[in-house]
Amino acid sequence: MRRRHLRGRLDFKFSPYLYISPFFVLFALVGLFPLIYTFVVSINDWELLGGAGDWVGLDNYKAELASPLFWNSLLNTFSIFLLSAIPQLVVATFIAAMLDQNIRAKTFWRMSVLVPYVVTPVAVTLIFSTAFDEKYGLINNLLGALNLDTIAWKTDVFPSHMAIATMVNWRWTGYNALILLAAMQAVPRELHESAAIDGAGAIRRFFSITLPSIRPTMIFVIITATIGGLQIFTEPKLFNPSSSVPGGPDRQYQTTVLYLWDLAFNRGDFGRASAVAWMLFLIIIVIGVINFLISGTIASSSDKQKSRRFATRKGKK
Amino acid sequence: MKSSRTTRLAKVVALTSSIALLAAGCSSGASKDAAQPASADNPVTLTVTTFGTQGLDPLYKQYEKDNPGVTIEATNIDTGGNALTDWKTKQAAGAGLPDVQAVEEGWLGQVMTVSDSFTDLNEYGASDISGDWVDWKVKQATDADGRIIGYGTDIGPMGLCYNSKLFKAAGLPSDRDKVAELFGGEDATWDDFFSVGEDYVKKADKAFYDQSGFVWNAMVNQLDEGYYTADGSLNIDSNAELRQRWDQLSDAASKGLSSGQTQWDWGKGQAFVDGSFAVMPCPGWMLGNVKGQVEGAGGNVSDGWDFADVFPGGPANWGGAFLTVPSTSKHPAEAAKLAQYLTNAASQATSFEEAGAFPSNLEAQKSKAVTGENDLTKFFNGAPIGEILGHRAEGVKAQYKGADDSVIQEQVFGPATIAIDKGTDGEAAWNSALSTLQELEIK
Repeated sequence: MRRRHLRGRLDFKFSPYLYISPFFVLFALVGLFPLIYTFVVSINDWELLGGAGDWVGLDNYKAELASPLFWNSLLNTFSIFLLSAIPQLVVATFIAAMLDQNIRAKTFWRMSVLVPYVVTPVAVTLIFSTAFDEKYGLINNLLGALNLDTIAWKTDVFPSHMAIATMVNWRWTGYNALILLAAMQAVPRELHESAAIDGAGAIRRFFSITLPSIRPTMIFVIITATIGGLQIFTEPKLFNPSSSVPGGPDRQYQTTVLYLWDLAFNRGDFGRASAVAWMLFLIIIVIGVINFLISGTIASSSDKQKSRRFATRKGKK
Repeated sequence: MKSSRTTRLAKVVALTSSIALLAAGCSSGASKDAAQPASADNPVTLTVTTFGTQGLDPLYKQYEKDNPGVTIEATNIDTGGNALTDWKTKQAAGAGLPDVQAVEEGWLGQVMTVSDSFTDLNEYGASDISGDWVDWKVKQATDADGRIIGYGTDIGPMGLCYNSKLFKAAGLPSDRDKVAELFGGEDATWDDFFSVGEDYVKKADKAFYDQSGFVWNAMVNQLDEGYYTADGSLNIDSNAELRQRWDQLSDAASKGLSSGQTQWDWGKGQAFVDGSFAVMPCPGWMLGNVKGQVEGAGGNVSDGWDFADVFPGGPANWGGAFLTVPSTSKHPAEAAKLAQYLTNAASQATSFEEAGAFPSNLEAQKSKAVTGENDLTKFFNGAPIGEILGHRAEGVKAQYKGADDSVIQEQVFGPATIAIDKGTDGEAAWNSALSTLQELEIK
């Protein structure tokens, strides 16, 4: 009797750990181990073919920080990231707010915004890179037909960033819109109703009720967009697949992940590539924390507003 | 209390992870007897990794039929570039390499830095049959210690693809023998090539060749010493011949000879049918590409592409592959035997029929299958492609390729050739190539 009781208690206490352990074991094997191993590689003079060389401490990091190619890749990454993340989130929030309205054939509209996400990025990139082709592309042909100057989409730095951001936006806007929509659906209708009775218009209700209420989801969307944006690879890799330098002949749109791939597999410098991987990891963490803090302050200040408003209303009564 | 809880937690984690490890633990059954030849009683599975279109598929089936007990598992990777990444990753990991690995001439420099991780085929009789191939092909696959690490498959002797219709419209000869003469015949030089080009540009008011990158590849490949000297040191800044050729090329580009097309893209083949350019340096394997591009853009024989038995600056080779046996193979004898079979005269003739890969095997070069008619000869206006390529292969020299040869070709001079096509002057493009060389820290 007592024994069974003990077993029951042990079961109660430790079973949960057993149940969740498959994830953590897997994480340790395929997540944590590579992370640590990458760090070990990054402090050695490691050639891809030659294997581990001498221990060099932080020399790989120093060399990368002094390399113009590394800074070029960071600049490109941030440029493409900002060009995609900001419009993407603004538009996604707008679309979500529209889909949240009482419209006909709701499911149809909601599912259609997700279609771009279902298409594989490789296919998206092939289609867009053809459209953005400089000599034979759809867009330049249209510009030419309108007697406008054609744009060097694959040669000039800013146009190429615009083109790549377009692909990213096309693919991810609908996805983010659906997530935000789900959060908006969870906002109690009574809040909207009472605000409407108080005379708040649609725009006022959106900023004062919808946005603060979906704050946690917003933070999630911003952070995942940040991680995705800083790790961008497929789109710039396939934008000009025939280019022998990944990211454009003059590295016009070589992002950091492309750069580290180039370092590792074309130039065979595994140590330096691992150092870049680690620096990117740290950068993503820093940006993630900054995002979290910023979105936290925005939302909490509007929280304060809200509670103040409720307080004044109570006071009036 | 707290410490005991953590130890218990640790035990749980340790237990579960050891279960996972046990489950993941591989049951690597050792091969029955690696030294014994394969037979029905001693079955052997050989893995083969190739890339592009090498035309080996029917040969695998034949080999399995002729050698009971042998099963071939073939993997074909779409492009040479992806195959290189695949090989490098597996080579670096020290595992996962196949029994027979195809290696591209372009990455031979990198392969040679680890040549001791390949089986020396001399142990399996390579030296006895090395006379079967063109001599420079064997030389390419021989490392500094005299080990032969690969059997040659195809080679890429270069001739000139030209568009007879465009030549005619510009008032130039269009017959392939006359065209060969126009470019200087046996003594064709790059000066001849570019002066014909200037003439064409004047008369036709169109660009002459598709883009400068391929021309540059050919110019570099045919030098005695390219980006590296024969003893393996970097040879760019002080290479007067290289610089002289660069000036020739950038001068031509500045005069509008280059159409500035995107390499390997050509507007999805459009540029081959809309008259954007009239000539292109063509190694044997490029002919299939030209045909594919023209057909992809809706063109056909009537677009007028032809192939002339001439090449500026003398014999040149671009590309070609080797079949190697990585030393990780558990059945090196069987693998070497298969590699030898896949590259013998009859097999190379079959590969040529299948994929247009021009044989490096001397006997295969003369076989009916190579010199006769096929789809390609029909497409190129009846040009005797096999004969021309055999002729173009004579006199090619094996240039020493350093470890970073392909990086220099692609990342240093790739952007520079694009720059001169877009109007940058030759001096500036050369200097920016040198500074890229420094940024990439190539030694």
